[in-house]
Amino acid sequence: MLKVSLSDDIPALEPGAKFRIIADFAAYDAVADREGNVMIKKSLTIIAALGAFAGAVVAVPAEAQERAVKIAGFGAKSGVVRVFGINSEAALKAALEQINNAGGVTLGDGTKGKIALEYYDDRCNAEEGISVVRRIASTEAIIAVGPTCSNVAESLFGILQKKVGDSSDSGLQFPIIADVAAKGGLAKISEWAFRNVPSEFEMYKSLFAWVKTQYPDVKTIYGGVEKDFAHSNATFGVIKAQAEAGGLQLLGQGEWLLNDTTFSTQVREMKRANADVVAISAHPFTTCGVLKEMQRQGVKPKLLIGLTSSSSIETLQGCGVQAEGIVIPTSFAPVTPEAAKAAEQVAKFGGSADLHSAAAYEIGFILKTVIESQKVMGKPDTVAADREKMRAGLAALKETDGLLGKVGRTADREAIKPFLFVHAKDSTWKVLHRPGS
Amino acid sequence: MDFYLGLAQIVGVHTLLGLSAYCVLLTGQVSLAQAGFFAIGAYVAAMLTVLAGWHIVPALAAASLVAGATACAVGFPALRVRGLMLVVATLAFGEAVRLFFFNFDYQVAKGEVKIGPAGGEGFRQIRFFPENGWSTLDVLVFIWVFVALVMTALWWMDRSRAGAVLRAVGEDEVAAQSAGINVTAVKVSAMTVGGFIAGLGGGIFAHYTAHIEHAQFGVALATFAIAYPILGGLSSVFGTLIAVVFVQAFLIEGLRFLGDWRNLLFGGLILFAMNVRPRGLIDAATIAAVKRMRIRNREPGNARTQGAE
Repeated sequence: MLKVSLSDDIPALEPGAKFRIIADFAAYDAVADREGNVMIKKSLTIIAALGAFAGAVVAVPAEAQERAVKIAGFGAKSGVVRVFGINSEAALKAALEQINNAGGVTLGDGTKGKIALEYYDDRCNAEEGISVVRRIASTEAIIAVGPTCSNVAESLFGILQKKVGDSSDSGLQFPIIADVAAKGGLAKISEWAFRNVPSEFEMYKSLFAWVKTQYPDVKTIYGGVEKDFAHSNATFGVIKAQAEAGGLQLLGQGEWLLNDTTFSTQVREMKRANADVVAISAHPFTTCGVLKEMQRQGVKPKLLIGLTSSSSIETLQGCGVQAEGIVIPTSFAPVTPEAAKAAEQVAKFGGSADLHSAAAYEIGFILKTVIESQKVMGKPDTVAADREKMRAGLAALKETDGLLGKVGRTADREAIKPFLFVHAKDSTWKVLHRPGS
Repeated sequence: MDFYLGLAQIVGVHTLLGLSAYCVLLTGQVSLAQAGFFAIGAYVAAMLTVLAGWHIVPALAAASLVAGATACAVGFPALRVRGLMLVVATLAFGEAVRLFFFNFDYQVAKGEVKIGPAGGEGFRQIRFFPENGWSTLDVLVFIWVFVALVMTALWWMDRSRAGAVLRAVGEDEVAAQSAGINVTAVKVSAMTVGGFIAGLGGGIFAHYTAHIEHAQFGVALATFAIAYPILGGLSSVFGTLIAVVFVQAFLIEGLRFLGDWRNLLFGGLILFAMNVRPRGLIDAATIAAVKRMRIRNREPGNARTQGAE
């Protein structure tokens, strides 16, 4: 007779199991024949054949298959900022390929395993980001890498459990490490949240200190900000504060939105202010729009400063000529052998290495370290424990290896990354200064 | 499982948003102000739970009342215009509300950190649900209790004289006026009820996303609000629900794997649906067909009835 234990057999099919299934169905055939139920017989024969085929498919690779530790990535792969998600995915894939080709990771029981990545699109939308993370949490992924946008990170980190072990807090207990979302202080929202993004406060503090020594004649600054984008807006506050701390007088500020395409009014105001320095806190798309309008109106400040996120290939592709001379602090440039190799590998996966995707690349290797140090098992029945281990492992890190050097980790789960200043020269990014060198 | 429960939460909140527009659309008016009322509800409810420490239920009640009162106040001047002019007027109102919250900064110190709306950076840490130990299922049930209440109330209203009056104004304003209906009062009432429901939805939205900011309440949300009842059909409140499920569960979640193509397909599928079902997914003909089917099934001698016997 047909065994009820059939489904129990399938996940662990041993050699010959498929024949037993056929035999079980054959026994049922006899009964069916006696009862004259030809339709059922035919159906079951087909099911048996399919079952045998599935058994063969499942059983053969099961012997050869290595364990896979599942991780998930998510970010904006559609919409205005889609390029960030595409670059992050490429960087993660590049890093994981390096790791897997070098033998993968050593799991808690001593076996070797590969790291498998699934990447999701959140469209830079908080509501969709929550949905994506809930979906990821319902899979066997032990950690998620993302998101792109700070507004998504705000919501996501908000739905996570605030303090680990707080039984009164029903927030999601799932570790997330951000690669791109750059708005300051996001990781402190939850103990399950981590970031590998540079401190823009330190970057602009250092930049304006450097400006003071290199450009002693500049006295005034005019700001421009992409007001509706959380990162641009928050960083503009940092830029203003550091510029004033550096002795520059703020003459005014122009504001625009991420989806704006005309900037003539803002640039006219900028021209009227006639400041020595112009600082643009915006992403490549509107930065290029503003730079082109500045060229059209003949606005030529002594020094042009940009947002960290604009130190990317998109700015050079969109307005390389107009961006000539713009100075930007960044945590990535292919100035070390590791960084040059990373840039090459990311390009192989259809992405471009910049400060954000380089962070994703570094995260791949951070996760390998944590998986091994925390003895992650990577089994379906250890998913919850593995997530706890990943969180604890990330929280315990004091230092990680970055592409530009050692990266410090703070108690509030943020990174202290080495950085440098680049400027656009002949439509490429050239290193202008390395603080501390 | 948690993912599906979370998705059902989103469907619930968007259903409230769609139903808020449904009320106004019944009177033949197209309002793009619903996102504004939704934003008011979100910020008021969040401020009450986070800053004042209220329980979420009174906070939602207060948020709904504030949004409803705003809708009533906006309704009088806005509904003096009609058609495209009303669309522009309500859009302007929605943008004004969004820009108000864009500049609205009211933070208070709570321990070492400041909490409250911080202008363009938004309002973070709206954590009533997790801080009070509510599971995803608890939140889902909470949301759907409100959705059920609102849908039942609107369903009942549709079958009452009030519903007939609303539809009469929507079908032919002049005829309704000549029949003695105070058209302005009806329109303002619909706007008020719509604002109340949008405020309720916004209040819940703020709490399940844990962070709100002005950008979430823009023209896109306003468009979604009116798209749901138009796509679902104005013949029944259930049409809005069906449309929300179609958009949120199928188009947005189901097609996520398509990446950028999803956005293209999204518009294409809505166009297709509107062409195939120009009066909405659930129109009057569908409802009549369902009723006929039910009557046939109840008739003596019907196969099903016999089977039951």
